[in-house]
This record gives sequence, C-alpha cells and structure tokens, in this order.
Amino acid sequence: MIKALRENIDRFLSPGALVILTIAIVTSFIVASLPARVVDGIPFWLAATAHRKAYVSMVAEWNEQKPDKKIGMTQLHSRALERRMLSGFLSGTPVADIIEANLGVVAKVFLGPINEIGFVDLTDRIHNEGIYEQINTPSFAPYTSRGRIFGLPHDVHPVLLAYRSDIVEAAGIDVSTIETWDDYFRVMRPLFRDRDGDGQPDHYLMTADDTRGDVAIMLILQAGGSIFDDNDKPNFASERNAHVLAELTTWIAGPNATCTDVPANTAAGHRQRLEGFVIGTLVPDWMAGSWKIENPGLSGKLKFMPVPAWEKGGRRTSVAGGTMIGIPKASKNFETSWEFVKYLYLNPALAKHMFENTSIISPVKTTWTESFYDEPDPFFSGQPIGRMYIEQAPDVPHRPSSPYTSAGGQKIASSLIALAQYARTNEIYDVEALEIEALQILQEEQATLERLISRNRFITEGG
Amino acid sequence: MKRLNYAPWLFLAPFLLLFSLFTVWPLIHSMFLSMQQTYGPGRTEWVGLHNFKFLLTDPLFWKATSNTVKFAAGSLFIQLPVALGLALLLNRPGLRGRAYFRLIFFAPSLVGMPFVAMLFAPIFARHTGLLNKTLNYFVSSWPIDFAWTQNYVMSALIIAALWMSAGFNMVYFLAALQNVSRDLIEAAEIDGAGAWHKFWHITLPEIMPIAGFVTLLSVIASFQLFELSYIMLNDSAGPDNRGLTIVMYLYQTGFEAGDLGYASSIGWVLAIMLISIALIQRRILKRHEDR
Repeated sequence: MIKALRENIDRFLSPGALVILTIAIVTSFIVASLPARVVDGIPFWLAATAHRKAYVSMVAEWNEQKPDKKIGMTQLHSRALERRMLSGFLSGTPVADIIEANLGVVAKVFLGPINEIGFVDLTDRIHNEGIYEQINTPSFAPYTSRGRIFGLPHDVHPVLLAYRSDIVEAAGIDVSTIETWDDYFRVMRPLFRDRDGDGQPDHYLMTADDTRGDVAIMLILQAGGSIFDDNDKPNFASERNAHVLAELTTWIAGPNATCTDVPANTAAGHRQRLEGFVIGTLVPDWMAGSWKIENPGLSGKLKFMPVPAWEKGGRRTSVAGGTMIGIPKASKNFETSWEFVKYLYLNPALAKHMFENTSIISPVKTTWTESFYDEPDPFFSGQPIGRMYIEQAPDVPHRPSSPYTSAGGQKIASSLIALAQYARTNEIYDVEALEIEALQILQEEQATLERLISRNRFITEGG
Repeated sequence: MKRLNYAPWLFLAPFLLLFSLFTVWPLIHSMFLSMQQTYGPGRTEWVGLHNFKFLLTDPLFWKATSNTVKFAAGSLFIQLPVALGLALLLNRPGLRGRAYFRLIFFAPSLVGMPFVAMLFAPIFARHTGLLNKTLNYFVSSWPIDFAWTQNYVMSALIIAALWMSAGFNMVYFLAALQNVSRDLIEAAEIDGAGAWHKFWHITLPEIMPIAGFVTLLSVIASFQLFELSYIMLNDSAGPDNRGLTIVMYLYQTGFEAGDLGYASSIGWVLAIMLISIALIQRRILKRHEDR
C-alpha cells in the first residue's frame, strides 16, 4: 500500500512540489498551534511610542491598585490603529474600550452623522465634572464636532521659533530686538550670504517652501486667520489669509527669497539642520522632543524665541498636531474606561513624565506651575523650554474641528503653490499685488471644497 | 430519454463557486454601491447616478486621471522603447557576459514597488539626493535644490518605474526577438538591407504581437499605479495632489473618507477606461494582423 502511495505521489508531485507542500503543511500546523495573544484587562490602543513609554508605569500602578479593573495597553502602528478603529466604528468589528488617536485620524470619524460617531459624546461629563475648566480650552477644538466633545486632549502643542544660536551669536546678531517677522528677516539677513562660493547661500533664514503647507497653516493660524468657521463651514478665502500667503510667497520666491525646505523627520533634514543649512524653524513642543532623540548633535546649538508676530503686539505662537483619548460607543466597560482616562490624562505624574521624555506640555492648567517646567534644558542651550512653551500655551490659536480639516489644509497648501507659481511666472513679488491674486486663488479653492462638502448628505442634511 | 450529464458541472463547480463568490458578487455589489452614498458599510443612502455626475465635474478626479495618463504615457513612450533597446542589445549573439547583463537588468523587477519607492525617495531629495548631486556634478548649472518629488512628481515616478519595469519588459521582448526568423534576416542581408531596415521591416512586424501584449500590460499596470506614489510621497498625494492617481483617489475616498459608494463609482469608471483601452488596442492589433 505504501508503495502504491509513493507511486501516486511521484506521479502527481515533483520533488520540488512535494517539499513546498510539506513545508506548507508543517508551518500551517505550527502557526495554528501558536497560542493567540490574549490582552489581560480592558483593551487600550495607542500608536505613539513616546506616549506608551510614558504610560507604562502609570498603567502598572493602576493595575496594581485595581486588579479587578485591569487595563491592557497595546501599541499598534498608527495605520493599523486607524484601520481597526474606523472598521470598528463603520462596520462593527471589535475595537478597544479606550483609544488614543491623533487629530488627523479623529477627523475621519466626524465625517458621518453626529449620532453615528463611533466615540462616546463626553461633553456633559466634561462640563459636569469640572474637567472643561481644568484643561486649556483651545485644546478641545479638534475633538469637537458640531458642538459636542468626543475626547480628552493629550496636549496643547504651542509653537516656538528654534534658531541656530551658535551661528547667530558667532555673527554678533542680537535677537532681543526681534518682535515681528519683518524684524526677523532684517536682523538675520547678514547670515544669508554665500561665503564659501558654492553658488548657494551658506544659511537660509527659515524652513519654509511653497510645498510646505504645514508651515503656511501655522502662519495663518498665528496671524489670526482661519480655515473653517465655528459652524465648520470653510472660510479661508479671507483677506487675512491672502495677506499671509502673499507675504510667505515673497519669503520663498523671487529676489528676496531667503527660505528653503528642510524635511522635518528625515535623516537628510537632520543632517542639513546640523550643518546650519537653515537658521530658524517653527517648532511645536513635540518636535523639540523628537529632535532631542533623532538629532543629538544639535545639543547646545539651538535656542528658542517666541514666534515673531505679524505686527507689533500680535500673537507670538501657533499650534500644530494633537492627540486625544476617547471611549468607543462599543465599550462594554464605559465607567471603568472613563475613570482610567481621567486618571491617566489629568495626572500630574503624567505631565512630568511626558515633558521629561517628549518635551510635550500638558493641557492640564493646574500642572503649569510645576517646577519641572522651569528646569534649564541643555539641548536648547540651557533655556527653560517648558516655561517658554507654557507662556505661549494660553494664546494658541483656535483650530477647526471640521471633518474636512485635512482637505482644507490641502486647499491652503495648493493655494500657496499656485500663488508662488503665479509670482515666478509673472515676476511679481510685491505683497500688495500678490494679495489680490491670493484672494482669488483662495476663493476658487474654497468653492471647490464647499462643493465637496455639499455632497455629504450625512452632514449637510441635519446630520 | 436523454440523461442529464452532471459530471462536467461537478468538475466546474469549485471554480464557479469561487468565481461567483469572489468576482461576480463583488462586481454586482460594487455596481449597487456606486449608486449610493455611504458612511462605511453600515450607513447608505441611494443617490442614483449622482456619484457619476459628481465624478464628471470633480477636479480631483480629473487631476488624478491627468496624472495617471501622464504616467501611462511615460511608461509607453519611455519605458517600452528602453526595454526594447535593452532587449536588442542583449540579443546580439556576440555580446560577452550576456547572461549577466540580463540578470542585472531584470533584477530590479524582482523587488516590490514599496521597496522601489523607499529607495528612490532619498535619491530624489532636494540638496542631498543622489540624483541632484550627480546631475549638479556633471552639469554645474543643474540646481541642487531641484524639487523632484515636490514639483516634478510624475517625472520622478516615471524614472523610478523605469528602473523597476524596463528589465521586466525586456524579457518579453527578448523572448519575441529570439523567435524572429533568421531566414528572413539573412535574406534581407543578402538584398543589402541595413540595420534600420531589418529592424523596421522584419524585426518589428515579427515582434508586434508581443509588443502589443506588453503595451497593454504596461498601460493597465500604469492605470493601477498606487503604492509607488503613495509611499514615495509619504502616504500622501504630494503637494497640490501632483502625485494623485486614480487608484490612490479611490483608496482615499473609500478607505480614508469612508465613502465606499463614490469609491465604487471611481472603480467602475477606471474599469470602463481599461476595457476601452484593451478594445482599442485589440482592434489595432487585429488590423495589423489582417494586413
């Protein structure tokens, strides 16, 4: 019988196919017999490594104190978290009881009708329990849809201007007189020279470029411009925004252009920053933390100053990025999850841990008087950067919460590209002349976005 | 009385079952979906042909189509001639190390698109990228800050795809060239035909069926462009959507915005485009064969 079997196998399978089949069968059995990873406790998903590190000891402490309400924290890749969260919200696949997600991901949740948003509406609890007063108010905005709040903010993310203090001071430049953007470019101008004769300036004055929509948005928000109104309707075709784009265009194009792009998180970008290729960069607190980890060579070569204002007495900061924590409606342990969320996000210990490890300041205002924010930071030439960020925190601009925030940002970015192209083609580098064109471009882009939004019946028809 | 023969149906059943389940049913379902507005699979509203009407006037869709057509044109008019040129070179019997060259040119196609995207992103970097540095070294007027992946996205994608796919298409052309009749070539040589005449009047007509097949494959692959641009542009469509392709727009609409209905209508329009291209190409080839 065995002989017959062998003959049949030889007849139908070549030796190679037999090896492949054997490997497939054996590995299938191995994979099938591997035990599935069971998370002990109420599932809590998050994506940011720095956040997870900050939470480990606090989750352990919670689990020790409340063994019957254990939390099982799992870090997922941001893409996986987004996919699984949206799948859970849209089609009912299992999701964690607690989810921490960044504002770009959260905005996608707000695309549908308000009563079908996957997160629990926390508005009443936040107000009734006095949490609203404890947290920096502008930080709630990105997690608020149609007036309802769906998560607790993790951060404030104010912006300062980091500059290469070693180069600036070696050139004898005094930055204390800088108050406005005009001052900044006038004072720093001597650095924009080609001393080594390679045909390129030795130092560009700022990280900005027509393809850097993020910089344009930070500057627009700083200037008091807006992208959406309080009713989530696009309103970026404004004279204020047109002025910012026109001014920015003269920084990046034409005879007086002194800015260039240096990628934010690439090795090449870090190398360029290390070489002093650019002097100044708009830096939210989280970016300060990531530079410390990713570019230690910059230690002692940088200092911060408040962002130069658009006019004297104007706002000296902006805002970029953000994360929230929320509880999905599918949670079977809402009360415990809510208790944990408050324990984690309102905890002064987290504020300290987060600042020391990531340079991110807490949105909980009562923690702002803590002394750890006053510690000199050797990476930033001994400046107390925590205090500097906190000084600007109450003044961070209000941000839109529209589900079309990302699309609005893209429209701003496209407008800047179109304006810079118009300036280069027609060799027009006068701010007033560019403002007229900028407004027209913004109006066209806004009309396109309005058309896209009008298509969404779930939002427009009383959703 | 005639007995019904079940045997063929029994043998066909596994295929028919799987084909119906994974091809026919999704096709029918996506047809219905394309006439709905959705917020995920759970929330739908019937909108009839509104998605298709909106699509026709959607500037982003046309931008994606324009970008995709540019990429397809680049594949067609740059990639295929390069592939054919390489095949002609490597088909020369006297060439030493022919097998090695074939392997070298074919090797890039063994790696996946995501790898190519990750490899080329730093190559195209401004100021520090290998391409700008090299071009600036040989042509001093070449701007070191030339913004490949910002302002010339489709050109950058065509170059990356050329590196990857030229060797793959070369293999098809090589196979076709090896089937070109030696008798005809020798007869032409006796009649005094030069290299160009031999290529134009003998080689090209002989390899035309394969060339048509490769063209169709390249166009279809170009219209399905997604991972290369998505990864190279850092999970986005690049500045001003300059790297947006039809499939990327479909992905963004369906899986990022949750509007599976609109994404389905994009998918159907893409399918109609590809079927039309295939029919046109088939007609051209048939006309050529008839001659």
